[in-house]
Amino acid sequence: MYTPRINWILLILFGMAAIGVFVAALLIPSFRAVAYAPLREILLPPPAPVIVTVLYSTEKQAWLEEVVPAFEQSGANVNGHPVKIQVEKMGSWEVTNAVLDGTRKPVLISPASMLQIAALQDTSTIQFGRSLVNPADTASCRAVLRTPLVLVAWKERADVLWGQQPGASLWPNIHDALVNPKGWAAFNQPDWGYIKFGHTDPLKSNSGYMTILLMTYGYYGKTSGLTAADILNNSDYQKWFLEIEASIGQFEHSTGPLMQKMIAYGPSTYDFVAVYESTAIEQAANAVGRYGELRVYYPPATLWSDHPFCILEAEWVTPDQRKAAALFLDYLTSKPVQEVALLKYGYRPIDSSIPLEQPGSPFERYAANGFRADLSFLPEVQVPPGSALNTLRDFWARNVSR
Amino acid sequence: MKRSVYILLSLLAILSLTLSACGQIQGLIPGGSVTVSIVYGSEKKEWLEPLVAQFNEARNKTADGKVIVVESTPMGSIESVRGILEGRLQPTVWSPASSVYIPVANAEWRKLHGSDLVTGNPNDLVLSPVVIAMWKPMAQALGWPEKAIGWADIAELATSEQGWSAYGHPEWGDFKFGHTHPAYSNSGIVSIIAEAYAATGKQRGLTEADLNDPKVREFMAAVEKSIIHYGTSTGFFAERMFERGPSYLSAAVLYENLIVAQETKRLSGQSSQIPVVAIYPKEGTFWTNNPYVVVNAPWVTEEQREAAGIFEAFLLDRPQQLKALEYGFRPADPSIPLTAPLDAEHGIDITQPKTILEIPNAAVIDKIQALWRETKKPVDLVVVMDISGSMRGDKITTARASLLEFVKKLDDRDRLQIILFSSNITTLTPLTPLGPKRQQVLDSVSGIFETGDTRLYDATLAAYQDLAANGDPNHIRAIVVLSDGADTASTQTLEEVMAQINASAGEGGNAIKIFTIAFGSDADESVLKQIAEPTGGKQYKSSPENIQKIYDEIATFF
Repeated sequence: MYTPRINWILLILFGMAAIGVFVAALLIPSFRAVAYAPLREILLPPPAPVIVTVLYSTEKQAWLEEVVPAFEQSGANVNGHPVKIQVEKMGSWEVTNAVLDGTRKPVLISPASMLQIAALQDTSTIQFGRSLVNPADTASCRAVLRTPLVLVAWKERADVLWGQQPGASLWPNIHDALVNPKGWAAFNQPDWGYIKFGHTDPLKSNSGYMTILLMTYGYYGKTSGLTAADILNNSDYQKWFLEIEASIGQFEHSTGPLMQKMIAYGPSTYDFVAVYESTAIEQAANAVGRYGELRVYYPPATLWSDHPFCILEAEWVTPDQRKAAALFLDYLTSKPVQEVALLKYGYRPIDSSIPLEQPGSPFERYAANGFRADLSFLPEVQVPPGSALNTLRDFWARNVSR
Repeated sequence: MKRSVYILLSLLAILSLTLSACGQIQGLIPGGSVTVSIVYGSEKKEWLEPLVAQFNEARNKTADGKVIVVESTPMGSIESVRGILEGRLQPTVWSPASSVYIPVANAEWRKLHGSDLVTGNPNDLVLSPVVIAMWKPMAQALGWPEKAIGWADIAELATSEQGWSAYGHPEWGDFKFGHTHPAYSNSGIVSIIAEAYAATGKQRGLTEADLNDPKVREFMAAVEKSIIHYGTSTGFFAERMFERGPSYLSAAVLYENLIVAQETKRLSGQSSQIPVVAIYPKEGTFWTNNPYVVVNAPWVTEEQREAAGIFEAFLLDRPQQLKALEYGFRPADPSIPLTAPLDAEHGIDITQPKTILEIPNAAVIDKIQALWRETKKPVDLVVVMDISGSMRGDKITTARASLLEFVKKLDDRDRLQIILFSSNITTLTPLTPLGPKRQQVLDSVSGIFETGDTRLYDATLAAYQDLAANGDPNHIRAIVVLSDGADTASTQTLEEVMAQINASAGEGGNAIKIFTIAFGSDADESVLKQIAEPTGGKQYKSSPENIQKIYDEIATFF
């Protein structure tokens, strides 16, 4: 007799709760997940996504194309609004230029290295009176993957030029070899023609820029304290630098294509090139069975491409976008995603708990090609102040760019 | 009530059918198309043409849904860029054999438009090194493969009076060398750049001052002396070498892929020639990299640029790159291993080349071309022209006009004789250098008119005998015969004439070559073919509409 009434009460209560959830979900998207799914899809409009626009440097393309969809499907949301990542790739310097000239207004930027972040900090402070990035705040701006700049050479030729490993005076030696009119004949190898070195266009590509910075440090024989005056006021340095650059036939616009040409054309066209270690790993298998053994060589001091992801300190970034971008940053530095970067793409994870020498790791697979997991022996040159960085770029643009 | 439901249902059915049919029809109505025209170096024709057909068949679309139609034209790489610079050709994409001529193209485009024709770094489609193709026994006589051979060795062989006797093979006769015409073809221009480098002993940093050294001129003249003739395209040159064999040409500047293609034919029994091998010049060579250039020209629209990009991505895609391997190219995609037929069995060595020559700047290339004009092998040429009555009207007018243009293309050092035939055979001008008599020749040609019968055989034989008697064997010797009908009045038969020509023909490649033009539909093509082909010449079919083009092509031989 009483049962139907209780049932009615329960039904009404349940109905009210369900309606309550629907109303709540309309107001606060976090409740959407609790709402009855078939009705939810009909009645409730899907919550607007928080869109995080990312400008990133080209060499990370394959890795990002793999991890971005996985992140979006992981259910990441800000107050129930799903996070959507919109990426656009370009050269590292093009990233900073696009932000500075206002042609792009992204939430996140990721050039290939902190060099661009330092330069952007400098230039935006001059231009706008405040910096667009804040590398001091690791929650919003931090390195995600690491890979050093290396030299890749045909072993047969490197053996003649610098032996097992290049010594401390690598850059002066390279300069002297490149400008010697006898070319390889000076090393008793007349059939190899003139000596051919390649790096990318420093105005477009970070690896080219790193190379000319290392060359400049190499000229001065130091690893820190480079100033704008070192570049502007020393004609001996300028002559030395321009002689190297004059020996280079063509500057590729980005690192991947340069490495591909090294392999496709072989030692006839490039004896050695400056690229990222990760780029060299990516192409290592392709080099087999062509022009002899290809090897990687670590310069006496190097620079790291550390792929920072930085949320812009700009008025167009909303608080929700900041939160969403921070979630994406956390995802990128999570262990599984970092492992993918190592095992599939040859990057060194920022997460130091991931061992480089593990089964399937390229550092094991290509150890015979000179890749070394432990680079603790390798000094890193200091990133000079933004003013010096910009001076070197301008110097190259005025005197070499073609 | 029931009836109205039926009506309603019927109407709905008709409506839905109509709507769905519209969908079908919409697919058939051309939603517009966008045409991508591509002018490309002819050596990649075998690879590219089937891909163009495949791409067009798939009806690829732009983002706006327009169907992309690719129209492709093979052409000598230098010839095509000349056409672009002069505005005669307006392609969306230019894909020359190599990047060698890009500095010159850019320099000239800048003068006209204030910007480069080629911007950015274009992608390579396929690769192949420039090599010296030589018959294997001849290469072995030079010490190949143990000894590295270079441009300087070729020059020495070319300049030696002894020819192959110096290498213990008097039976091979002279060293007969060939490269294409530098004003038309990529391999021609790289050949003369390589000669200039070899003359200076440099491998990079070639300057205009280097070229002023008299020894460069001497060196180039010496190499050019051994040239049997030039030609319009590298593919065509390879074809002649592989058809006619070692008595015609000892060696020619070709691309590695053409050797692979020939050896593939030979190994499968489609060619009965002896093997041919690639020599990678030890001083260095050039790559043909077949850049894909969307030209920076006002006639290319944004839509064409997008469509051209889609076609480019297709060509760079793995299946198409794998196909390139079959035609003897090295794929631009480094993930494709260099496997068969890129191997020693097919006459090549993939570990080569060991080094390259630096591409000189535009001014240096211009100067090398000028130097070549001065040092190239001169031609002794007899033009034999039909002026019989049937040439009346359009025919005689266009034949006259195109002969005038042809004469203008010859150099002052070339020697020219013109024979006219109808019922009579008259010499308009004897075989003497063109320089001093150029205006007089042009005036005489302008006054040619038609009359009488056709004494084709007698006139051809007369020309041949004159050239054999008066021509210089150190010059390219050739006869160009134009005829619009069958022989009607000769005193000798074709067999008699050919017997006399064959009896006195010199050695293979250096023999007098006869080019014949069958002018108009009444011309006897078969006879003209029988006259041309045994001499190493070529028969052309022509009409008043294209006679100029035929003369242009013949001019590339000289």
